[in-house]
Amino acid sequence: MVNRKVAKVLTFRYKILAGIFLLLAAGLVLLPKYEKHEGIKPEELLSNAISPERYISTDELANKIINQDPSFIMIDVRNENEFNKYSIPNSINIPLKKLLDEDAIGYLNQNQYDVIFISNDHFYADQAWVLCNRLDYKNLRVLKGGINNWYLTIINPTKPTENMPAEDFELYSFRKSASMFFGVVYPEQLKIEKKPEVKKVTPKKVIPIKKKKKMPVEGGC
Amino acid sequence: MNIQKNKHTYWNPYFGGFLLGILILFTFYMTGRGLGASGAMKSGVVTIVDALASNHAENNAYYSKFVKDEKSPLNSWLVFEALGVLIGAFISGGLAGRIGWRTQHSPKITKNRRLLFALGGGILFGIGAQVARGCTSGAALSGMAVLSTGGFITMLAIFGTGFLVAYFFRKNWI
Amino acid sequence: MGPLIPNGVIPYEWNNIIAIIIGIVFGFVLEASGFSSSRKLAGVFYGYDFAVLKVFFTAALVSLIGILYMDYLGYINMEQLYVHPTYLWGAIIGGVIMGVGFVSAGFCPGTSLCAVAIGKIDAIVYVIGIMVGIFIFSELYTVFQPLYEGYFYGNITLMDSFGINRYWFVFVFTIIAILAFVISDLIRKRRKKIFY
Repeated sequence: MVNRKVAKVLTFRYKILAGIFLLLAAGLVLLPKYEKHEGIKPEELLSNAISPERYISTDELANKIINQDPSFIMIDVRNENEFNKYSIPNSINIPLKKLLDEDAIGYLNQNQYDVIFISNDHFYADQAWVLCNRLDYKNLRVLKGGINNWYLTIINPTKPTENMPAEDFELYSFRKSASMFFGVVYPEQLKIEKKPEVKKVTPKKVIPIKKKKKMPVEGGC
Repeated sequence: MNIQKNKHTYWNPYFGGFLLGILILFTFYMTGRGLGASGAMKSGVVTIVDALASNHAENNAYYSKFVKDEKSPLNSWLVFEALGVLIGAFISGGLAGRIGWRTQHSPKITKNRRLLFALGGGILFGIGAQVARGCTSGAALSGMAVLSTGGFITMLAIFGTGFLVAYFFRKNWI
Repeated sequence: MGPLIPNGVIPYEWNNIIAIIIGIVFGFVLEASGFSSSRKLAGVFYGYDFAVLKVFFTAALVSLIGILYMDYLGYINMEQLYVHPTYLWGAIIGGVIMGVGFVSAGFCPGTSLCAVAIGKIDAIVYVIGIMVGIFIFSELYTVFQPLYEGYFYGNITLMDSFGINRYWFVFVFTIIAILAFVISDLIRKRRKKIFY
């Protein structure tokens, strides 16, 4: 009786099955281990970092805003106080310390829009850029020079002197018109037009951020 | 006798286990969660209580976790899964000719005794499954697949107790 | 990449449809393995039928090894899987209560659903019993609450609690399972006239 049972246990197919199980399990033990990288590889990060695409100049940004380019959103990483004092119209305030919060992910981790990071200079914006890049978010850019540069170039452009090349004058006139767009009123403009300044209000762009669905997994029973 | 025999020929347990394992793997791959069964019954109870005594359901600390205004508790993953289980088992039973109103028990006990024990066992299992947050499929099987400590503890507790108390219930089965 | 639905690879709306499909396969496999029969299930406790043990451990092994391989190859992110939370005493006491219920009734919820589908009256009574049990638990929730919510250790795995290498653990677990299969075959008592 016992022998028959032993014979049954030792049938060929059960031996094979047991062997396969052991092999698979042993395979797991013997497989070479490697550290898993969260996000992108350092090489990729480096190539992103040196890419000219990384920065956007204030002029380009102004141009985009004036043309109502719908393809980008601006993320202001300064703290709330600073944001409330002055901000580029339509930018969204996500302070750097809240960058990894749940609410921020919807804005940052999407493929629909370019994300432009803004801070006072570009120091904090760069940090945000590196962090988000590491998380493999796409289409990230940094405003070169940040709000300071924005103020110097767009809001309060320096008038070029006589001996400067023509491009500078073109640039200046662009910047000046841009600054008017953003609500700066020039004295000569008042003189010429005399009529009350119609403040151009850029229509508040409501950005429908589609949250990338990441459902929390729920329980079994 | 021959028909009787065919009716109760089941798959090789290793084959069944293999398919079940693949299914759990597939479930985790698709949904990130394991299988479950008692959750559907919990949804059923919550729905019934909510329908009969809505106030009571909202005031009870346990029901209120599962009562949501916009969504019926029955509209949950586990309920759909349980429906699938019923369909699947019906297909399998139908193919093998096992369908029929029967009560299964040892010849030594009466039908009523069997039903009584089934009811008692059900009540215990219902309470236990809530205390442990899962039954054999939800906690033990799916928990083991991801090496959850709680799953292993629950599994050991269920089967360990089963072996310990089996002696007292032997008349029901053998 | 995986799990697919939480990562949005497959739209969330598919979740319930997939649930039904998974349920159908689950029910089919359980029923075809004989889990709709309470006497077959109870057999594991009396040594005349070890189908439960074999199915259960084979399933656990296959899924465990499969998940680890898929995690290794990057198809699935193990961190994202739902890990059953560990409430130490809840798990133990709940398990003990379930163990008694299991032997007494010969079903667990999943298998009872299968048995209901093929018209077992004891299974229908059992499911009613489970619902009564859940009802009792909910009504007495304040009594059970300390147990239900206490001794919480988080959604931990065995690696977290014992600091063992999971691959080695799976290897040892495999050996234990195979030994259990062999031993169960050796000690199995033949009982004729057991009507599944």
